[in-house]
Amino acid sequence: MTSAAAANGAKLSVTERMARLLGVVPWVVKQGGAHLDDIAARFDYPREQLLEDLTQRLFFVGVHPFTPDTLIDVHISDGIVDIQYADWFSQPMRLTSEEATRLLAAGRTVLDMAQGRGSQPGDHESGADPLVRALTKLSLSLGSEGASAVDRIDVCLGQAPAETLDDLRRAIDLRRQIEIEYYSQGRDQMTSRAVDPARLLSHDGAWYLFGWCHRAGAERVFRVDRIGALTVTDSVAQVDLPVGPAPSLSVDSVDRSATIRLAPPAAWAADYYPVRQRTYHADGTVDAVFAVAGESWLARLLVQLGPRGEMIDSHTDIDPDLRAATAARMLERYRR
Amino acid sequence: MDKFERLLNLAAALLNASHPLSANELRERMAGAYATDKTAFRRMFERDKADLRAIGVPIEVSTLYRLDPPVEGYRIPSGQYAGRDLRFEPDELAVLHLATNLVRLEGGAGAGLARLGGAAPSGGSTEPVEAVGELPFHDSLSKLVAAAIGRRAVSFAYRDTERQVEPWRLSFHRGHWYLVGWDVDQSTERMFRVDRIDGEVTERGPAVNPVGQGPDPRTLKPWEFGTGEPVEARVLVDADQAGWACHRAGVDGERRPDGSVVITLQVRDTAALRSFVVEFLEHAEVLEPQWLRDEFVAWLEALA
Repeated sequence: MTSAAAANGAKLSVTERMARLLGVVPWVVKQGGAHLDDIAARFDYPREQLLEDLTQRLFFVGVHPFTPDTLIDVHISDGIVDIQYADWFSQPMRLTSEEATRLLAAGRTVLDMAQGRGSQPGDHESGADPLVRALTKLSLSLGSEGASAVDRIDVCLGQAPAETLDDLRRAIDLRRQIEIEYYSQGRDQMTSRAVDPARLLSHDGAWYLFGWCHRAGAERVFRVDRIGALTVTDSVAQVDLPVGPAPSLSVDSVDRSATIRLAPPAAWAADYYPVRQRTYHADGTVDAVFAVAGESWLARLLVQLGPRGEMIDSHTDIDPDLRAATAARMLERYRR
Repeated sequence: MDKFERLLNLAAALLNASHPLSANELRERMAGAYATDKTAFRRMFERDKADLRAIGVPIEVSTLYRLDPPVEGYRIPSGQYAGRDLRFEPDELAVLHLATNLVRLEGGAGAGLARLGGAAPSGGSTEPVEAVGELPFHDSLSKLVAAAIGRRAVSFAYRDTERQVEPWRLSFHRGHWYLVGWDVDQSTERMFRVDRIDGEVTERGPAVNPVGQGPDPRTLKPWEFGTGEPVEARVLVDADQAGWACHRAGVDGERRPDGSVVITLQVRDTAALRSFVVEFLEHAEVLEPQWLRDEFVAWLEALA
């Protein structure tokens, strides 16, 4: 239903239509009739496709010997759909474990967010929270014998302090400009910036703030756990960012790269960081082409890997002796 | 007859059957739905069965000894088709609907809500809700969740070894799903990265060991992993990065007047501690113990 097929006009596959229609029939039967528009919205079923499936497909469904009393009766007048004699489809089909897990994962995430925002723990125990009730029912469908699934699955969307997230949400809601102290790991710099915050999004288990950065004069993405001080000002945010798909956080937006030859004990790095290409050698070493967003990030990785990783090729902007230069700089404070 | 209509009729025939029916009996009962050519019919029939199963329709297979020679018989037991009657209330469906809009799962939310009767768009508004988060989804996840909830043991291949595990909990943290549970062969609590599981997860009967807490990926501190007595290490981090360092280490630390902070860590894995300190480049310093400080300096000298 989040796929919003109805909204973007995407064609549903036969199995997607089947899965929806097997939900539509028992629901309409139970309601004693329903409006086409309501069904379309409720089941994310494109209206024209729904109409066609009801009149051209479901209408001809029946069982042997196909006498009128064994055929489904679909009647549509003034947009109201009425379905009769659909005895075999009158019960909703059970959830598959994947469907239940998908709902559970989404619901569990939202429960965590709600708990992080000062809801009363008592709500959950009393069963007053509809989300907790829904999660308990989903766990029943997954084979629980009454115990709630709430503690069997947990989701952490990011490790930022709750008060920072609350302040950011408030600033976005009120359209207020914020001032932040931001640590840019790529550049290894602490900077102060005025930002018009537009959106918070969790990606890969970390919170990101999308907004207009007045220092850069451009749209920027900030990792929330690297925001130091945060002040919500009284100034109104000046720049409106278009609502739409989140800006790209992918490695394709980075144009520099460096190739590191990783000894077997360091091969994990090729799985852990954004890598464009991996070449495996017979002796177990891996040549990995890393996307380099900032030179400091690469410097850190090289010092961490030590003798287990050698940079064998890099973009012309990148200092080929980066590792040695970084290690020498780090050593200075031990020699004071 | 088009495919969709045929699938609907096949499901109706299988649900309506009071006893299992052979493929030929189903073809006869579905008047003209299938090709008369035997091979073509069989191919279509197999594909249709697979499609029905793919959307979760439970088709039961048995052997029909009443026919000579005995052949496979099929039906959908209505009790299994409907499963447990969970009776989701409208407010429960509404919050699930909102949740699937707020949290985008890799591969979509699935048809689960449609099964449960759909949900009225939240608050009567058709305005799309902006997602707040994205989660990856793996094929093995649903089996592991079901095993954790239903107290079943499972087995799977992990780093080239077959593991028998009783799942306790699935945790999403720092971009990865982790399985926490009891490793049956090693008789110990363990944590696995779900995306590193190779191939299928197989169910292995009821879990017999008690559910424990297990390692918590939320408070995962790599330098605490390992065996033996921990060493207490003190690390100085400069003012600019003090807040972030305390957050990463999950400690408060002692603030100094210049804003820098000294954090105390329990270290079992010194290589992992080194990686943590390197994160701060020249803005951090290992203070104590002296031997750990010397090791860190030696590491840097070998690279400089």
